[in-house]
Amino acid sequence: MRVALAYSPRPGPLGAASPLQAALFLGPLAAIAFIHDSPFVLVGTAVAALWVASLSQALDALRAPLRWALALGVLIVAVNALAAQRGETILLRGWDLPLLGQLDVSLEALVEGGVLALRVLVALLVFAVWSACVNPDRILRGIRPYAARSALTGTLIARLVPLAAADLQRLSETARLRGPAASELGRMAIARRLLAGSLDRAIDVAATLELRGYGLDTSATQARPRTSAGGSGLVLAGVAIAAVGIVAAIVGVAGFDAYPTISIATGPGALALAGAIPLLAAAPFLASTRAGRSAVSDVG
Amino acid sequence: MRRGRRIATAGVLLASALAAAGCGIGAGEASEGTATLTITRDYGSESLHEATVSDPAESETVIRFLDREAEITTRHGDNFVQSIDGLAGRLGDGSRFDWFFYVNGYWSPIGAGEAEVHAGDRIWWDYREWSAAYTVPAVVGSFPEPFLNGYGGERFDVVVECEIEPADACERVEGVLRDEGVELRSAAATQAADADVLRVLVGPFGRLADDPAAKLLAAGPTTSGIFASIEIDRHGGYALFPAGVDGELRAGEQDRAGLIAATRVGDEQPTWLVTGVDRSGAEAAAEIFDAEHLRDRFAVAVIDGEVVPLPIEAGS
Repeated sequence: MRVALAYSPRPGPLGAASPLQAALFLGPLAAIAFIHDSPFVLVGTAVAALWVASLSQALDALRAPLRWALALGVLIVAVNALAAQRGETILLRGWDLPLLGQLDVSLEALVEGGVLALRVLVALLVFAVWSACVNPDRILRGIRPYAARSALTGTLIARLVPLAAADLQRLSETARLRGPAASELGRMAIARRLLAGSLDRAIDVAATLELRGYGLDTSATQARPRTSAGGSGLVLAGVAIAAVGIVAAIVGVAGFDAYPTISIATGPGALALAGAIPLLAAAPFLASTRAGRSAVSDVG
Repeated sequence: MRRGRRIATAGVLLASALAAAGCGIGAGEASEGTATLTITRDYGSESLHEATVSDPAESETVIRFLDREAEITTRHGDNFVQSIDGLAGRLGDGSRFDWFFYVNGYWSPIGAGEAEVHAGDRIWWDYREWSAAYTVPAVVGSFPEPFLNGYGGERFDVVVECEIEPADACERVEGVLRDEGVELRSAAATQAADADVLRVLVGPFGRLADDPAAKLLAAGPTTSGIFASIEIDRHGGYALFPAGVDGELRAGEQDRAGLIAATRVGDEQPTWLVTGVDRSGAEAAAEIFDAEHLRDRFAVAVIDGEVVPLPIEAGS
């Protein structure tokens, strides 16, 4: 059965970082997708997300989001091509549809759709890296002092959804194993049993939580959030990415305009920004690998 | 092998579907001639930009024409222009400003992304306050294009209906139209053919008052789109009441006051009114019936011998 959550412990600084450090590192990468619309910069950011996933050995966890992003991207390009009626380079003209009027497909609309799809791809990749590398328990623990009930709800969902999925599979298999002569078990019957089992389990969980003191004042027992040494490198990289991205946006070195004709900044500034983002994102991982090697050689 | 055949079949089916839907490849054929673009603000009181396009292609639309000439932002699938060169529509302080466009003096019922541009068309974008009248169905500022090129590539019969004696004012109006290259029809011929007709009513308002288009004038700017009204005042005679941008009528003018305005009754073609409070007012209006006086105006009044753009105080 597929695991509901993509997280598993990963090597490298991102796997060891606190949720706050991870957010300060990955947040700027996601923000770049919304600040910039240059295809070069977006591709650079996508490469950064993939490189970070690779260095964290989380590439496998990105397969499903990549598939969704590509399917969504094709849809976005198709819808934008029909919805956007600007652009000088007409490829197809003349759908005269009721209510929608005349629809032309222009090269510029296709490219604009491609850029929107790239944005979605980058955002999905960054959040997929987050899901794959950041321990959800640590996130919920971090949220607990500020929103105890939400954190509890999140924790229970994270635990109980996979259990409910396993229950469903077991019930379905049991129903099939009754043999071909047995009357067919409808979905409603299985859903009723699943709900009954979930309610039983909820009562057990509530009793266990009460026994363990859940709901008592948490401020006294609040532990200081754990941070990692490699995490500070991540934060530095995140700050650097944010700074570079914001300055580049203000200066306008990586401009892109789809209409009336496509204009993409291809100057050294745009290319440098596109190259800098993956390098800055990978830097804490490369530094930590080098530090690990030198530590090993020192011991040797 | 089988996969390649499937792709080829899908390609052929797609091409056939496109052909059946009347679609074509590329921008399409060009129509010979020049289309013009005018960008103004405050009911044409300030000109911001002028441009032309030669031999517009089949796929040329109002939004594409504008996009080439100015920095724009759009909404609603490129059918609504939110800003042109940084001047953006806004709501607040009791006023509402937006961009509106006219094709040959016709308010466009369809969006800029759908409205086609044909050779000879005059596209006019105006940024205006629209609290008093969102819809101004026809304007006079694109004279003589409505009579020459009609709307949407379709030309309409033009009839001058004369309600004034002696007919000097009518003859002047007909002469100006003929000089511009407009072919005039007789009212009887167009009625017999049941044709879509662009009418020009010439005469003192008292003689036109029963016409449905003239009746709209009394209903005010919100209904007629004309920022003026001609009504009987307290002295018992007709008076011209010009309106401001707020739609409120100002003090009436009785002496030789004339008006040139256009409006539409339902789906009929626009009706132009060349009228006045009396015969001399109508004659004064006929005197300024030309491209020079009407250019970029929503409507025009003649008050005390002065040409007054309507609405009054626009842009001040």
